[in-house]
Amino acid sequence: MVSEHIIKSYDQELQRLDNIIAEMGGMAESQLAAAIEAVARRDSELAARVVKSDARVDELEREVEGLVVRLLALRQPLARDLRQIVAGLKIASDLERIADYAANVAKRAIALNQTPPVKPVSGIPRMGRLGSGMIKDVLDAFVERDAEKALAVWLRDEEMDDLYTSLFRELLTYMIEDPRNITACTHLLFMAKNLERIGDHATNIAETLYFLVHGTPLAQVRPKRDRTSLALAPNADVSEIDEDQD
Amino acid sequence: MITIYVRRRAANFAILSLSLLATAVGLLVLFLILWTLLRHGLPALSVAFFTESTPAPGNAGGMINAIYGSLVMTAVATLVGTPIGVLTGTYLAEFARGARLALVVRFINDILLSAPSIVIGVFVYGVMVARMGHFSAWSGAAALAIIFVPVVVRTTENMLTLVPASLREAAVAMGAPQWKVIVMVVYRAALQGMLTGVMLAVARVAGESAPLLFTAFGNQFWSTDMNGPMANLPLVIFQFALSPYADWHLLAWGGALIITLAILALNVAARLIANRSSFSK
Amino acid sequence: MTYEIQPVEIPNRQRPHLIQMPAVETPKPIAEAQEQVQPKVQIKDLRFYYKNYEALKGINLTLHDKRVTAFIGPSGCGKSTLLRVLNRIYELYPDQRATGEVLVDGQDILDPRHDLNLLRARIGMVFQKPTPFPMSIYDNVAFGVRLYERLSPRRLDERVEEALRRAALWDEVKDKLRESGLSLSGGQQQRLCIARAIAVKPEILLLDEPASALDPISTQRIEELIADLKSDYCIVIVTHNMQQAARSSDYTAFMYLGQLIEFNTTETIFTHPHERQTEDYITGRFG
Repeated sequence: MVSEHIIKSYDQELQRLDNIIAEMGGMAESQLAAAIEAVARRDSELAARVVKSDARVDELEREVEGLVVRLLALRQPLARDLRQIVAGLKIASDLERIADYAANVAKRAIALNQTPPVKPVSGIPRMGRLGSGMIKDVLDAFVERDAEKALAVWLRDEEMDDLYTSLFRELLTYMIEDPRNITACTHLLFMAKNLERIGDHATNIAETLYFLVHGTPLAQVRPKRDRTSLALAPNADVSEIDEDQD
Repeated sequence: MITIYVRRRAANFAILSLSLLATAVGLLVLFLILWTLLRHGLPALSVAFFTESTPAPGNAGGMINAIYGSLVMTAVATLVGTPIGVLTGTYLAEFARGARLALVVRFINDILLSAPSIVIGVFVYGVMVARMGHFSAWSGAAALAIIFVPVVVRTTENMLTLVPASLREAAVAMGAPQWKVIVMVVYRAALQGMLTGVMLAVARVAGESAPLLFTAFGNQFWSTDMNGPMANLPLVIFQFALSPYADWHLLAWGGALIITLAILALNVAARLIANRSSFSK
Repeated sequence: MTYEIQPVEIPNRQRPHLIQMPAVETPKPIAEAQEQVQPKVQIKDLRFYYKNYEALKGINLTLHDKRVTAFIGPSGCGKSTLLRVLNRIYELYPDQRATGEVLVDGQDILDPRHDLNLLRARIGMVFQKPTPFPMSIYDNVAFGVRLYERLSPRRLDERVEEALRRAALWDEVKDKLRESGLSLSGGQQQRLCIARAIAVKPEILLLDEPASALDPISTQRIEELIADLKSDYCIVIVTHNMQQAARSSDYTAFMYLGQLIEFNTTETIFTHPHERQTEDYITGRFG
C-alpha cells in the first residue's frame, strides 16, 4: 500500500519491526487464551507453562527497543516512518504488559486451584474471551493499518469495563455471603482486574494505531465504564479517580 | 586484467616521459637563449652603454637613446592601451550579454590580435606619418598601442569571465549597482589575471620592431622630442646586428640582453604585486 | 492524551494558502505568538520562465516575519528559483522572467518601477557556496554598509563588530580583520557571508542551501545562527537536508515540478503531512 523506500534495507528493518510486534501480539494473545483455559479447567500445568513463556515476550520487547533505537539513530525517520517506529515502541510495551497480565492470571490460577471451586469463575472466561478478541482485532488492525477497526476495538473496552464491574459486584456478594469464599474470590478479583487492564492496554494499542494511521492523536474521550469505585463509595466522582497507569 | 594494468602502467610511463622531455626541451631552449644572451651581452654592459647614444661605426658609444625611446614609447602605448583594452574587455565580459555588437567587437579584436605587426606599422604610417610629413615617436607609440589593445582586451575578457557568477550575484544581492560590482568585486577577483594580461602586452610591444620601422623610424642621436624620430631598442638591435661591424654587434647583444631582462623583471614584479594585492588563493 | 488544537489568528486575514494552519509549535502564550506572526511576503500566482520553460507554475505562498520558512523538494523543483525571485537576482540573466505578484509589506517588488538596488539592500542573500569578496574580512562586512550609509569610522567599526558577533564569527577573526576573507575556512567564510548580509540590517534573509558545502560542526553553527537571527528577520532557507529543514524552520513548503505541493508548519509537514507526495519525499520514497 505504501511505496518502497529508495533504501531497501530501511524497508526491511521496518518490516522486521512489524514482524516482531505481530509475533509478540500472537504470543500475548495465545498466552491469555491459555491462562483463561488454565483457570476454566483448573489446569496448573498449563498455567505454569504460561508463566514460563512470558520470558520470551520480554525478550521480544527488548528486541523491539533495540531495533527502534537503531532505526531512530541511523535512519532519522520522518512522518509515517517516524510514527510507525514510535508506535512500534509503544505497542511493544503494551503487548509486554498484556503478556505480563496473562502470566499474572496464570499464577493466580495455580493458587486458585488450591481452593475449592466457586461459582463466579465463569465470569473470567467471558472477560478473557473478550480480551483475546480485542487483542486479535487490534493486531489485525495493526497489520492492515486499519484505523476504523482499531476504533472498534477502542470502543469495545466499554464492554470489558461493564463485565468487570458486574463481576466485581458478584464477587463482592459472594464474599459477603460466605467468608470462606474470600480467598478464591480475592484471586478471582485480581484476575478480573488483570483482564480489565489487558483491555486498557488493547485500547492503548488502538489509540497508538489511530495515531500511526492518521498522524493525529485520537481526540475523543473514551467512555469510562469501570464503576467499581462507585460500589465502594457511591458518592465519589469517578472521573477524578485515575486508574494506575502501569 | 594484469596485462591491462601493465599496459596502462607502460602507457602512463610513456606519456609522462614524453611530457617531461617536451618540458625539458622547452626549458633547454629558454636557458640556451638566456645563456647566449648573457655570454654575448654581458661584456657589452658598461657605464657608457647606459650613458651614451648610439655611435658611428668604430666609435665608442652606448644605447641610452634607444633605451629611452623604447621606454617612452612602450610607456605611452601602455598608458593609452591599458584603459582602452580593459574597458573593452569589461564591456565584452560584463555588459554585452551576447549582444550582436559584442560578437563584432570580439571578431575584430581577434583579427587585430593576429594581424602582422608590420601591417599595423604601415597603417599608422599612412594615417599619421604621411599626414604629418615626418616620422615621430608619437606615431611609434600609436602603433604599439594598436598592438597592445587587443591583447589586453582578450586577456581581460577571459579573466573576467573566469570570475564565478556566484561572486557577481553575491555582490548584486547586496544591492550594489553594476559598476560597483565590477570595480569593487570583479576587478579585484580578476586582478592577477588582468595584470598578467597587461604585462604580456607590454612584453609583446617592447620587443616589436616592425611597426616602429615606419613610424618612430630610429634616431642615431639623443632625442626626447616626441614629434621627431626616436631611437628604440628593437630597431637598433636589428640594424646593428645586420651591420658588418663588431662593436655594433656587441652593442646589439647588450641591447637584446637588457630588453630580455627588463621583460623578465617586469613579469616577476607583476607576479609579486599581484600576489600581494589580490586575494585569490 | 488530549491535544488542544488552537488555530492562531493571523492578522489581515492573510492565511497560508493550501491548508489552514494549526497552532504554531512554539510553546509561547497564544497572545504573544499572535502578535509576532506577521505576513512579510505574499506571493500570488507567481510564474517563472527560463526562456520558454515554465519553472514555477503559479505559486501562492505567504512568508511570515520573524519566522523561518524552509523550501524543500527534489532538485529542479523550483525552490531555488523561487528564492531568486524574491530579490530579483534572476534579472542578471536576460532570458529569465517572472509574472504574478510578490508583495513585500504590501508592495509589489516585481513592479519594474521598483528600485532594484534598494530592494536588494532590504533583502540579504547567502549562497550555497561561500562567496567572500576578494577583500579583507572587515571590508567584506562593511561592503554593503558603505553602499547605503555614510558612517563615521567608529560607527562603521561598531557595525562590523556587531554583525560579526551576530554571525558568531567575531572571536575567530577579531585579531585578523585586515586579512583576506578568502583566508578563512569554508564554515567561517559562510558565516562571514551571513555577517555581510546582516550588517546592512535587511528585513528578509534568503539562504540558498547555506550549509550544503559545510561539515556537520559548521552546519550546526549556521543552524544555531539561524535560530538566533529569526527573532529579527523573516528568514527563508532552501535546503536539501530534510533534518536541517526540520530543525531550523517554523514553516515548510514542499515543492515539486514547479508547484507548491504543501505548505504548513514544519511540525505538521514532518510528522503527518497531508499530501502523499510530501510524505513520499520526506520519508525517502521518491521514485
